[in-house]
Amino acid sequence: MKVPFKYLFVLGSMVLFLMAFTLLKPTPLYLEIPKGWPKPHYDFSKNPLTEEGFQLGRTLFYDPILSRDNTISCASCHLQATGFTHVDHELSHGIDGKIGTRNSMTLMNLAWSKSFMWDGGVNHLDVQALNPITSPDEMDETLANVVSKLQKSEKYQALFLAAFDDANITGQRVLKALSQFELMLISSNSKYDKVLRKEAVFTDQEQNGYKLFKTNCASCHNEPLFTSEKFERNGLPLVTTLNDIGRQKITENSKEYMLFKVPTLRNIQFTFPYMHDGRFKKLTEVIKHYNSLGNDKNLPKQLQKPMHLSDFERVDLVAFLHTLTDTAFLFDKRFSFPRE
Amino acid sequence: MKSNFFIGIILILFFQLGLAQEKKDSLVLRLNLKFRTETLERNKEYVSESKDTLEIETFRFYISTIKLQYSDKTTFSESNSYHLIDIENPNSLRIPIAKTTDKTISKITFSIGVDSLASVSGAMSGDLDPTKGMYWAWQSGFINMKIEGKSSSCKTRKNTFQFHIGGYMKPNYAIRNIELKPINSNFEVIVDVAELFKSIKLAENNSIMIPGSKAMELADKATKMFGIYSKEN
Repeated sequence: MKVPFKYLFVLGSMVLFLMAFTLLKPTPLYLEIPKGWPKPHYDFSKNPLTEEGFQLGRTLFYDPILSRDNTISCASCHLQATGFTHVDHELSHGIDGKIGTRNSMTLMNLAWSKSFMWDGGVNHLDVQALNPITSPDEMDETLANVVSKLQKSEKYQALFLAAFDDANITGQRVLKALSQFELMLISSNSKYDKVLRKEAVFTDQEQNGYKLFKTNCASCHNEPLFTSEKFERNGLPLVTTLNDIGRQKITENSKEYMLFKVPTLRNIQFTFPYMHDGRFKKLTEVIKHYNSLGNDKNLPKQLQKPMHLSDFERVDLVAFLHTLTDTAFLFDKRFSFPRE
Repeated sequence: MKSNFFIGIILILFFQLGLAQEKKDSLVLRLNLKFRTETLERNKEYVSESKDTLEIETFRFYISTIKLQYSDKTTFSESNSYHLIDIENPNSLRIPIAKTTDKTISKITFSIGVDSLASVSGAMSGDLDPTKGMYWAWQSGFINMKIEGKSSSCKTRKNTFQFHIGGYMKPNYAIRNIELKPINSNFEVIVDVAELFKSIKLAENNSIMIPGSKAMELADKATKMFGIYSKEN
């Protein structure tokens, strides 16, 4: 009896040791690329996704610790239920009730984004978060101070240990963890996607709207991501109170005056108000704007031919745009406020 | 069992010896920040050749891609070579780079600033970590050099001047290469700030915060600060 017991003990402790070892290692996460989508732009080899890294990023995303006075989190301007944007405000507001100069962008399918912000000034997802953290109108904080606040928190010491295998908290890791959360925000389960997968069918109205979309909108809002990732001038007059010259501010190239990034249209039903300065409250206003354009040499060639959509056609187009709503994404519990 | 323990001890001792050896033997690139003949100090008044009375508050810059060429034409390139030099951090003025050899160094080259590849690679670590305050937020890219201070010539708020030199996209790629030739192996790199302010009139030029032609001009002027001083053996 003595011998087997001893062996059992040795075997048991070995199993326990191995289990402890696997528990310590972060669990790899794999991004599922939806069928028919292009290869992601983000280089995952420099920031391998893990469950623990994702959860750390999620905790940071919802934590106002990133702001100077602990009042503003990323989620303050990027709400899940509205496609991770700031609904109902033309211009997004931040710390001390200060108002910025643009409407916050949506956050989804960011692994495919080549540039960030309305003017594309940011070249990599990792460094995007530096903007809201340091902007005096948003979080008005420094990354160095964020790191020192996190280093004092036992909760974050444990989260960083779990995510990176050691408890060292650095600026790089804060940013990479935020990226991990944001990279997982994939919206690919709208009715439109289901129709393409033959799991659903469009109504006649939606089908007609899709046809109109393909002729009039898809050259910039390329399927399946609904953006060309390019910068375009779309005929909006300059608002003199903001004087936002868009891409030209970044490149100092006068040819890029008033060029803004083509945003995705996924979940557009809920991401109002529209345009870089949120000047349109309703989708019908957006379509009316494009319908009124044409015969203007300052416009890109895609917009030079007038659309001439009838009242009925405009309604059909809106019906199609509503099929880009992905409720599974907007209410996915994995992306919501982390309750402990 | 006992012999294993013994071997372990020997290994540890051996390893430590090796580490100590390496530390002692490494060649240290020393930088000396100056204003003409004086050692540069923060918040001390200097008068430039353009007759501006000025004080330096912040002086930080990147040195990268350090390469040594020896008299026998062999070379040494430091890997992952990015160093943030900061007047407030005296340790940063000593860069350990390579094991010393008997070979004479004939040429030393490095860049002032950070290359475009690192500027598009997201969040980096060490001296490139964005917590160092040398990465732009609204427009991605590293600030290669930051010089801030005060001068009565500046009709700005609190009489400040601020130069943030950077830019990684052509035609405004602001990185600059420096080539120095030491006479002997007992040398240090001199960074004489007076050489920069010689060519600047602070009343007219006191704020550069974005990449562009002005930053390119200042990046060119900044190269004039770098020189080498070899002590006679």
